[in-house]
Amino acid sequence: MMRESTTTTLFRLEAWKWTAMAILIYVFIVGWIVPLKPGIIKVSPDRAVAGEQVVIDVTGYNSAFASDSTQLRAWLSLAGDTVLSALHVQAWDDRHLSASFYIPSVFPVRQEAYPLTLILDHGIEGSSVLPNAIFITPASVQDTSELPLWYKDKIEHIHQKAGMQYPFRNILAETIRNTYFHVPMWFCMIILFGASAWYSLKYYKKGDIDADRRSVAFIKVGLIFGLGLVTGMLWAKNTWNAYWSWDVKQNMSAICLLIYAALMVMRSSVEDEMQKARLTAGYNMFAFVLLIPLLFIIPRMTDSLHPGNGGNPALGGEDLDNTMRMVFYPAVIGFILLGLWISQLVYRTDKLKGNL
Amino acid sequence: MKLNKSCHIYGLFQQPMSIKSIFAFVLLLVFQSARAEGEAAPDFIRSIGKIYVVAGVCLIILITLFIYMIQLDRKISRIEKRQKNE
Repeated sequence: MMRESTTTTLFRLEAWKWTAMAILIYVFIVGWIVPLKPGIIKVSPDRAVAGEQVVIDVTGYNSAFASDSTQLRAWLSLAGDTVLSALHVQAWDDRHLSASFYIPSVFPVRQEAYPLTLILDHGIEGSSVLPNAIFITPASVQDTSELPLWYKDKIEHIHQKAGMQYPFRNILAETIRNTYFHVPMWFCMIILFGASAWYSLKYYKKGDIDADRRSVAFIKVGLIFGLGLVTGMLWAKNTWNAYWSWDVKQNMSAICLLIYAALMVMRSSVEDEMQKARLTAGYNMFAFVLLIPLLFIIPRMTDSLHPGNGGNPALGGEDLDNTMRMVFYPAVIGFILLGLWISQLVYRTDKLKGNL
Repeated sequence: MKLNKSCHIYGLFQQPMSIKSIFAFVLLLVFQSARAEGEAAPDFIRSIGKIYVVAGVCLIILITLFIYMIQLDRKISRIEKRQKNE
């Protein structure tokens, strides 16, 4: 019976598995090919003294300074309404330009140093921003008559390029795409552990060994999706400058994975099948309850490098704009479906093994 | 006198390009190209906007899943073998 139609059985698959594959193919293609908005990588010098004219060299990313450079404008901004317009902007090539500014010797506010934000606008390519691009130290002689210079200019007619582009974030640059690959790992892991806890509860109520098998399959695959720890370390090395910076969320997710790893070790040390299942069910429900404060509450109570924790905005603003949502949410759904699929295979394998 | 000073500051590039400012920009160009040569190349993984970090993350995910699938495949093969023997 198996022999007669291998080709048709190959493609006979539940619809949700097809959906998982289609979504993940979409995520991998769109997540990789959509370009970033133009950005500013480097400004030199990054320090200057007030009361002087300063010429800064700007290195762009994904930028096209040279194409129609007459439309290029630049500003340095201290705050929303205190803006200095560039005296002159000269594009050398698509990625390099020089801009000259006169920094007034007197500032509207008094500080030790003044971080200025660089804003570029190109008529076709759109605008780009580098916060804290240049630090100004106060001048020795302050001329109060220069104060109006701060209010003379305004940032107006900012252009935005139409079409699909991901936001350019300073430091992150292209790694903003990791939002589609690293973050869904954790979503998937939490869903799998949740499903596992659900089946543990079911086992507790009915004593059905099949529920135990399902719950263990979910834990096994959930632990595999704990590889988010490794992907996160690679990402952290190149943005936070250390594989492990003892960030609260890093620590808590490592603890959480250890709890589940301990569950698997404990399980393998018990001989009796029924006792094994009972212990697993109890431990597993406890572990999932623990997962919620570990991953959702404690990281929000202290400072964390992760977005969405310690006062940082979560899943919003420039870190996840509407263009990114078009890939991020499918990515989450796709990876969850993939996780459920693999768990189902593990469950079916364990069931075969158990029935022998 | 004050007025004169700010006029001088703002007038530098707004007047028809003086020899001085053109000279300044040529100098700047020379310095820039000299600096570009002296600049150390960023390490491989951080080049091109750190795109290789994304490649690395995708590879880690794929390789881990593949290794797990291979293990699962071998497990199923063992069961099939046992089933055959019985």
